[in-house]
Amino acid sequence: MYIPNFIIPDLLLLLFPFIVIGSRLFCTDRSKVPWRIANIGFIAIFVLLNFIPLSGGVGRFFITNWHIDDFGVLMREVLMVSAILGIWLAKDYFEHGGDGKPAMHQIAEFIGTVAFATFGGFTVVSACDLLTFFLGLEIATIPMYALAAWNKRDQYGSEAATKYILMGSVATAFELFGFSYLYGFAGSIHFDSIQHAVASGSSPLLWIAVLFLFAGIGFKLTLFPFYTWAPDVYEGAPTPVTAILSVTSKATAIAFLVVLVYGPLSPIKEQVAPFIALLAGTTLFVGNLGALKQSRLRRFMAYSSIAQAGYIMVALLGDAVMGKTAIIYYLFVYAISNYLAFFIFGIIGHHREETFDSLRGLSKQKPTLAIALAVAMFSLAGIPPLAGFFGKFHLFFSGASTGHYGIVAFAVLNNVLALYYYLQLIKSAWIDDTDEHLNPLRMTKRQRNVIVLLTVAVIVLGVLPFLSDNIFAGFTF
Amino acid sequence: MINDVSISYLIFLMPLLVFAINGLFLGRKSDKAAAAFAVAGNGIAMVSALIVAVHYFSSTFAPQKAVLFDFPFLSFAENFAAKIGLLIDPLSVMMLVVVTVISFLVNIYSIGYMRGDRSAGRFFSILSLFSFSMLGLVAATNLFQMFIFWELVGVSSYLLIGFWYHKPSAVSASKQAFILTRFADSFFLLGIVIVSYVVQSFDFFTLNGLTLAAFKKETIDLGLMVVSKADALIIGSILIFTGGWGKSAMFPMHIWLPNAMEGPTPVSSIIHSATMVVAGVYLVARLFPFFAVCGNSLTLIMWVGAFTMIFAAVIACTQKDIKRILAYSTLSQLGYMMFALGACKTGDAVIATGWTASTFHIFTHAFFKCALFLIAGSLIHQVHTNDLDAMGGLRKKMPLTYWSSLICVLAIAGIPPFSGFFSKDEIILAAFQGHHYVVFGLAILTSGLTTFYMFRLFFLAFHGAPRSESVKQGHVHEDFFMTLPIVILAVPALLSGLLGKGIFEHYFVPGRLRVPQLVLLPHAEWIPYVAVAVAAVALLIAWFFYASPKAKVERALDESNRSALYKVVYHKFYFDEMYYAVVRQFVIGGIARVARFIQDYIIEGILAFCIWFIHKLGDLVRYAQGGNLSFYLGTLIIGVLLWRFLGQLPF
Repeated sequence: MYIPNFIIPDLLLLLFPFIVIGSRLFCTDRSKVPWRIANIGFIAIFVLLNFIPLSGGVGRFFITNWHIDDFGVLMREVLMVSAILGIWLAKDYFEHGGDGKPAMHQIAEFIGTVAFATFGGFTVVSACDLLTFFLGLEIATIPMYALAAWNKRDQYGSEAATKYILMGSVATAFELFGFSYLYGFAGSIHFDSIQHAVASGSSPLLWIAVLFLFAGIGFKLTLFPFYTWAPDVYEGAPTPVTAILSVTSKATAIAFLVVLVYGPLSPIKEQVAPFIALLAGTTLFVGNLGALKQSRLRRFMAYSSIAQAGYIMVALLGDAVMGKTAIIYYLFVYAISNYLAFFIFGIIGHHREETFDSLRGLSKQKPTLAIALAVAMFSLAGIPPLAGFFGKFHLFFSGASTGHYGIVAFAVLNNVLALYYYLQLIKSAWIDDTDEHLNPLRMTKRQRNVIVLLTVAVIVLGVLPFLSDNIFAGFTF
Repeated sequence: MINDVSISYLIFLMPLLVFAINGLFLGRKSDKAAAAFAVAGNGIAMVSALIVAVHYFSSTFAPQKAVLFDFPFLSFAENFAAKIGLLIDPLSVMMLVVVTVISFLVNIYSIGYMRGDRSAGRFFSILSLFSFSMLGLVAATNLFQMFIFWELVGVSSYLLIGFWYHKPSAVSASKQAFILTRFADSFFLLGIVIVSYVVQSFDFFTLNGLTLAAFKKETIDLGLMVVSKADALIIGSILIFTGGWGKSAMFPMHIWLPNAMEGPTPVSSIIHSATMVVAGVYLVARLFPFFAVCGNSLTLIMWVGAFTMIFAAVIACTQKDIKRILAYSTLSQLGYMMFALGACKTGDAVIATGWTASTFHIFTHAFFKCALFLIAGSLIHQVHTNDLDAMGGLRKKMPLTYWSSLICVLAIAGIPPFSGFFSKDEIILAAFQGHHYVVFGLAILTSGLTTFYMFRLFFLAFHGAPRSESVKQGHVHEDFFMTLPIVILAVPALLSGLLGKGIFEHYFVPGRLRVPQLVLLPHAEWIPYVAVAVAAVALLIAWFFYASPKAKVERALDESNRSALYKVVYHKFYFDEMYYAVVRQFVIGGIARVARFIQDYIIEGILAFCIWFIHKLGDLVRYAQGGNLSFYLGTLIIGVLLWRFLGQLPF
């Protein structure tokens, strides 16, 4: 059978978990082989993805049912970046635990599970029909349940995972219910036919489907009021899993919405827009409110990422090219800034509790870490000239381009609120006095390198954002 | 102009280098090396800026605009990219000179002021970042670049105001300044989004060349309502102005500026003269033709400026903290600049006098205000208090400082031939020519108040008997590094008005104006005489109260309030006593109390309420997050029902 080039990364990623897990059969527990294979494999896939030329226009098909367009390729890159950074972050947790929890085991399986979740994301952006679409979403979600409970000896992790899986099941049920109505309305599961049917007229059937689809995905994207699981799960799950959840899972969910809104539902996009704006506004407001007075770092990041999801939703209001560009760009920036923050929290968590108080005096003990933290927070708060600002500007611009100034104004004002709580974190690190009882911090070489790399990336993407224009060269959908 | 490219990049490169090298290496190793490098770097920047200025104004090219370099930075669409560039026109050249000169002198001053501070290296690093941000803002060719540097100015001011982070008041002041200006900036950003979407450009040239007629027919959906694109532009212009409103600390967003005094004095000095607060005025001046075509936004600008001017001047009369008096005086002077820009519009026509006057006042004000803050810093450094109560009698001990401050005080009071006279005179003239007689009256009145509170400060600080132990015992001396910049700044404070007048009147006209301009302007040669007379009377009053041989300084400073009637009777209707009573009970005690009341209770009250409300909402969100799984599952159901009815889905 002829296998086109552009499908190779997907195939590799599908084979990859079996190789990593399989390699464990042939080596000892302490062996570094699976870890090395994982690194080589993930990076190879990421590099290969970069070689796929952006085609513009309609994209290409593989066996008529696997569709790869520019958005798909770029989303794959985002997901791979997240997977690579995720396993790098996780590595140390297999050697010694963080945040007062014991160390984790079975790194090969962990990596395999991350790979499966990433492949789920690949499937979502490649789907051409509801069935594949749904499968992709589930492939992306089910490994997350396992990841959340990875630390079997941690009862909080188990509790979090239980909540996650129970609520996730309900959300999946909503999702399926929505899909079934959509199928009932269109009489076909193929996106093109659905789009055709949607264009030719609407009925309550369609709107019930839309409502339930948004409710279901709202769970994964942590939209109001479906976000309630997030703070608990983010706090209970192991730190690297929290990071992966906040990037990979969120990127998959937003990709799902992008595919849906600019694909089958595009004829009624104008009518759905107020709903999207409402979801975006409430979500970012509630996220910001929740983050105001937190004292636990991961809980804080949970609310921060809820708010970020709201900001991303604003871009969905724009037209296809602008909205997709803004979302991709922002996801890159968000992934980098978020992982930077989590790497720092990881280092803190290896030696101290993961609370605001543990940051005290950071600027004196580890100035590099304190600078990196300030960069990450300012980027998330959207202060120029850091990458986060340009990302946010794209999002707002996309929302404003179709005249939704109300929600854009609300989002921009909320940014002031966000600045307040990000400053709280910076204050802890830079201004509060050192607490003598805190354990000293140590960084491994990998941690230091990754932090420097990510800090530079956030600054450079901000100072020279045209670098990322290359990503969008010929970027039309 | 091509030759200047090679020099002009130094203006930006040097402060950036100083920031990076001091921040990363030198600052930790040696404070002295960091200081020397900062002075040298900013010196080179200043020299380059001066060379560019001399080249520019001596060439025949002069009043035209040039873009020295401009490269695409971030593209939104094929023909629509944000660029980073360097704009050269009279306004930006003037600002480049002002910023680099002030920043150079403040760096020298800081050698003395920050001597012995444990993180002086960090200070010099951030100070250079501050001036770099302002330079980038000034040189911006488009709104987007301006906004980036605008925010950078905000960030660096946050770092500087909170520089002494072991003082809780400094930390809260820096946070207040940052968050409040950023609150205003979010409107600015929104304005940029609206305007650039309508015009499809960020460029100042394009924006300044607009006529609204072309946009009248098309409509745009603003979410709340559908308006014509022309109206959208007017809304956008007001939103953009809101950014300047906050940054230039206009009423009611002025509260951050007096509190920002918590930073080291060199920082206050540079914030108040060349960077940060001037940014708002600069924004309006830069986009002046755009504001001129946008409906009545200039009138709004005028009233905001005029109110801030008189409001701040009244408050300044009641303060005893030397830096706070200066802070309020800055507010008042910024009000002058702002209303001068706004007063250009009369009916549908526009006069350019106000624009010239405002930019002129930015120029002269920068020097004398910077010097005044440096002087205040010197005094504080010697006497170890901000309080005028504890000063006095410093004339003999600090002669150079004394004479320099006399020049600066005369300059801000608008006494000829000192610099402030020329620019302030033009501003008042502009208000008169624009037929804004109420504002004109306020401006004259404020000019008197300015003279009064500045001379009050001057007499209390330098004249009379020493009121603090350290002065009496003679520990006071003049520090070389701190006095040098003061003396240098006294020169432009004296001469910049006289020498600058020609240049400003010749070269400084706003860009292409697309509205009818008034050609026939009413002659009003009597205005300078009136202004000077008012100032002279105010000076005499100040002298009478605080410096004349009969003055009872202790009584004037006495805070305890006795009833007016009691005093009048007790002092047997002595004229001066009656005057004290009237001034204290009515002017200071009445009007100023109302002004203080508005500030302390209404504005800060609204602010406090918003913060309280948001915190309560936050508590609610956290309360809902109780960990109860059944409740969580319930939210899923509730969510679906909620969006079914509120989601505006058409079924």
